[in-house]
Amino acid sequence: MVLFDDIIKIENFLKLQLIKRGAESEIRLGDFLNTKAIYKIRVKKRYMHDDLDNYLRYERTRREAKILATAYASNINVPKLYAVYPSVGIIIMEYIEGNTLKDLLLSNHEKYITFSYYAGRELAKIHKANIIHNDYTTSNIIVRNDKLFIIDFGLSVYSTNIEDKAVDIHLYKRAVESTHASISNKIMKEFYKGYLDEIGEETGNKIIKRAKEIELRGRYVGERRTVWKS
Amino acid sequence: MITLGIESTAHTFGVGVFDENKGIIGDSRKNYIPKKGGILPREVASFFSDVAAEAIKEALEQAKISINNIDGIGVALGPGMGPQLRVGASVARALAAKYNKPLIPVNHAIAHLEIARYLTNMKDPVILYVSGGNSIVTTYVDGRYRIFGETLDIALGNLLDTFAREVKLGPPYIVNGDHVVDICAEKGNFIKGFPYVVKGQDVSYSGLLTFAIRLKEKGYNIKDICFTVREIAFSSIAEVTERCVAHTNKKQVILTGGVAANKLLNEKLTKMAENQNASYKPVPFKYAGDNGVMIALTALLELKHNITIEPENAFINQRWRLDEVEIPWYYSMI
Repeated sequence: MVLFDDIIKIENFLKLQLIKRGAESEIRLGDFLNTKAIYKIRVKKRYMHDDLDNYLRYERTRREAKILATAYASNINVPKLYAVYPSVGIIIMEYIEGNTLKDLLLSNHEKYITFSYYAGRELAKIHKANIIHNDYTTSNIIVRNDKLFIIDFGLSVYSTNIEDKAVDIHLYKRAVESTHASISNKIMKEFYKGYLDEIGEETGNKIIKRAKEIELRGRYVGERRTVWKS
Repeated sequence: MITLGIESTAHTFGVGVFDENKGIIGDSRKNYIPKKGGILPREVASFFSDVAAEAIKEALEQAKISINNIDGIGVALGPGMGPQLRVGASVARALAAKYNKPLIPVNHAIAHLEIARYLTNMKDPVILYVSGGNSIVTTYVDGRYRIFGETLDIALGNLLDTFAREVKLGPPYIVNGDHVVDICAEKGNFIKGFPYVVKGQDVSYSGLLTFAIRLKEKGYNIKDICFTVREIAFSSIAEVTERCVAHTNKKQVILTGGVAANKLLNEKLTKMAENQNASYKPVPFKYAGDNGVMIALTALLELKHNITIEPENAFINQRWRLDEVEIPWYYSMI
């Protein structure tokens, strides 16, 4: 049997238009069966041993694709998965054309605040599918025709743990507070409402309560406890 | 302006003298080397009490100045081990009170960052700080160093030392400048199936340690185990550092702390920085480990911003996180 993985050549994909280069991967724009498509390519890390690098890229690509598929099957708005080649670290998926929620909130705030309600709803749907996004920020939410799409499941995992779910909420809040400081309270109010509406009061309040505990642990927030007066 | 700095957070009692114009002018270090096992805080503290006076004298002699010409006494009040910290703090409080000098509270971790920034001449870098007690990826944002990622359990240096001890490669842990795990790993091969734990921006090493010790018990080749432990530990911290560089878009990367002299870690970070179009430098070997000079340097920077403390309020803080410290001097380094 000839595996498609064996004949696929990464060089061909590196010619596609580069949209974004992160630490994990390159995002390129190409097409797939005559529609625009995103090529997410996990490139080789030269500082890692080959066996380790191959293993990590394989596992992470496989896991991300699997989570994308689960999310889509759970009616969460995510890019459709077109194809995945774990051995070369490539995922091909739907291209969602639109602005990020971050840019919208920065451009004309009041009008787009209600979108945060749907950001809450989507995250609740993600959590109901026992997926933890692990990078749930307004820059990973794309708005197309007033509908929110969640992208970048690169760090995502499966988990039923309340703590893990609470971290997603905490990260969203932290991102909102740093990027949209002046309207962060309104954004979070909408977000909690959407989250609770979707996941239910009982479960939802437990998770939100835990998120507040995480914040108070001071793991990410520099609490003022200096020992001297400056 | 000239400051004297006292370091006593772990196994080194260090006294440094730093001159604003001449740079480093005095550097005395008394290292506690355990005959077996690891550090016993009580024993180290008693060792520190014995050598403190001599270290101060030595540093001042090297600097060729009298204590009367010093403008301030800096002391590392944390983070570190209580008994040792108390020795340094007592000595510093006594000196400040007797000679009527301002006492300056210094965070040990911040001192590691500042000495590296000073000696590499990198103004605004992403910093990887790895030692026996810390593994932290940090960078300055908006008034403070922010912790971007860190170890969730044991530190990188602790992992290497504990593993070496468990499989009887050490102590001593360092032979001719190389760690015994590095020496052992030289002709090793990669073993598949080790746990590689990067959770978001954080790393975790305790599972790796347990797994490695189990493999040794099962009779695997120790060279291969050393090779793999090292490969996984360094790759994961390099990966977290890379995420910080990509996220902040900073163009400089530096390495500091006791593990900074490690050749393989340096190789990995060099390649990682190239990949991100950033320049990379490690802190010079001599100032990688704990020393009094870095405390003196940081104290000087603080003193210029009038950060001092009354001796009666100078309590130690074993868990003093580096992101609690305001850094008003960041852009006006010497």
